[in-house]
Amino acid sequence: MDPFLTSRIVTDVLGGLTNGVIFGMVALSLVLIWRSTGVLNFAQGAMPMFATYVGFALLSYHFGYWACVVACVIVGLLIGGLTERLLVRGLYGKPEINPIVVMVGFLIVLEAVAAAIWSSFPRSLPTPFSFKDWQLAGKPLALSPFTVYEIVTALIVMTAVAVLFRFTKLGLQLRASAVAPEVSRLLGVRVGRLLTLGWMLSTVVGVITTILVASNLFQGLTPTVMDGIFAYGFIAAAIGGLESPVGAIVAGVLLGIINQFVTDYVNQNAVIIIALVLLIVSLMIRPSGVFTKRSERRV
Amino acid sequence: MKRDWTRRRAPLALAVAVVVSVVAVVAVVSATTTREGVALSIAIDLAIACVTTLSQPDLKSSHPVVSRAALTLLGLDVAIFITFFLNSSTNFNLATGAAMSIVLLGLSFLTGASGQISLGNGAFMGVGAFAMAIWSNHHATTPIFLTLLIAVGCGALVGLLLGLPATRLRGPYLAGMTLAFAVAFTFILSSFSSWTGGDSGLQLPTEASAPRWLDGFFHAGTSPLTTTTLYITDVAIIVAGVAFFFMANLFASRTGRAMRLIRDNDVAAELVGISLPRARVVAFIVSSAYAALGGALLTLINNSVSPATYSFALSVTILSLIVIGGIGTISGAVIGGIIYAFSTNVISWITTQTGLNPQGNFASQLNGIIFGGLLILTMLFAPLGISGAVRHLWSRVRARTQG
Repeated sequence: MDPFLTSRIVTDVLGGLTNGVIFGMVALSLVLIWRSTGVLNFAQGAMPMFATYVGFALLSYHFGYWACVVACVIVGLLIGGLTERLLVRGLYGKPEINPIVVMVGFLIVLEAVAAAIWSSFPRSLPTPFSFKDWQLAGKPLALSPFTVYEIVTALIVMTAVAVLFRFTKLGLQLRASAVAPEVSRLLGVRVGRLLTLGWMLSTVVGVITTILVASNLFQGLTPTVMDGIFAYGFIAAAIGGLESPVGAIVAGVLLGIINQFVTDYVNQNAVIIIALVLLIVSLMIRPSGVFTKRSERRV
Repeated sequence: MKRDWTRRRAPLALAVAVVVSVVAVVAVVSATTTREGVALSIAIDLAIACVTTLSQPDLKSSHPVVSRAALTLLGLDVAIFITFFLNSSTNFNLATGAAMSIVLLGLSFLTGASGQISLGNGAFMGVGAFAMAIWSNHHATTPIFLTLLIAVGCGALVGLLLGLPATRLRGPYLAGMTLAFAVAFTFILSSFSSWTGGDSGLQLPTEASAPRWLDGFFHAGTSPLTTTTLYITDVAIIVAGVAFFFMANLFASRTGRAMRLIRDNDVAAELVGISLPRARVVAFIVSSAYAALGGALLTLINNSVSPATYSFALSVTILSLIVIGGIGTISGAVIGGIIYAFSTNVISWITTQTGLNPQGNFASQLNGIIFGGLLILTMLFAPLGISGAVRHLWSRVRARTQG
């Protein structure tokens, strides 16, 4: 076997890819909401966290893993839709700090309520796949059935979102109501419903991400499980450009790989610092993201 | 004619009043021997002087700075007078509240004056707090006020570093960037653990105590613990007073007006010749310097600093407090500071009243549930917070009474 596949560099790239797809998914879910409603959802980590707690509560009634996942997705749809209808609906067109503040408040409430109900001790989730790395010629390859499951799931979710937006009538309407809500409304598109749908979709992407993160052997589900991941997801989305789903995913994957190299060659503490520096530098060079077309702000 | 005369009279009146009160104090000091008598007479004289000045007609419009100075002095006088009658745990709470209100003032200015928002002010507070602790561990002899200034300088410097990209960012990007800074801050601290003391943080080398010439006032027959707390509380209140005085002037100054124009219409601001990037950076630096001052005071109050205090949760608490108090207003910062000072007491009171298990999950999360809930409700139903709601009610009452 080729020793190249178990070399330090390839190991780092593969390890980084696993984290990177997670960051990419968080970034994607942020972009979905930002593009359609102009809200940066600071509760994008907390809402799926809550849904995951509720869904996996079924475990105590002897339901299996996949039943719990389905339950999580359904709860996620509900939370996403209700949040848009009850909390965010009144904030469109208000100063841009209003939705930020409301979503930060929602983040606090969700984390506090989750900790009040389920305590803040990590709860380990069952996983259908093994964490044991495959061996290549006696050396561990940085891939296990679980990480492959993670990467494949992420790819499926990303492809599904892309197909939905590019090739379906619903996707066309979603894009239309994001770009020109007034015109779409005149042409008979139910813009209000589509905005709700956008939030539901984004929350489901978040739920799947959270399940993957929380099923990880070293992590477990806690009320604050998504805080750090949200920060990286935001950094990825900002570097890639909040307008560009592809940019967000690419930036997320790259960020994951860079993080892995920093962990390996520098240390764990430096990871978020390097990410912050990357964010600052990229925002100074291209304030609206690397992957977006430069556009003048309309007055 | 009469107007002109009043204009010239106002600052004169302040000077006369202050001179009179000083003379009165000297007279009282020579007449009485008890420290309490002296303190009481100073307090009353100062209050009379301030009220006399404030009662001048048209003072607010003709000499706004004098009017603000008198108001600040009056507030300080009353607040410090009250601290002499409180027990040390209440004083400690008040001191923390005063430190926090400075931080809130900075954020209020940033958002209210220039329309930006920061989720990283807890980290800027940490910059000041650690600068204070590190400096006093290396140079124990530096006077407190100088050390505080150094901490403020550090905060301003970090604010400048992060503010440079902020000049080109709009709302959500800036909020996200400051959030990333707040999350990164604890990791930055542990990366420099030889300076910051790692997980356990730092202790101040000596406990702050009243300078010799003030000793008498602070050792009027009470235990040293009480007097030290009293001294630190009064220092915190005075520093807060000075910070508020500066900010009130800044809000009303040319810079402040320019920033409000940016908040309301940045394109119009550019057209009248305001430099957007410069105004944004200045607002950001002021806000982080204020946060650093608050953090440094908090180190002084606690006599130690721990990295766990300056987590992302603190930044979120700061945002909640100023939104509930009234973002963009000066009074909002005072209200927020008072809420912070007594929130722990109120929440433990609620816990005992409702019979919750104080060690239970629910009781420990009550803080987050209440603050988060209030944050959402305030933003949805009264975006200007308590300060804005009171002002709204007051104007309605006035409109009704005037027919």
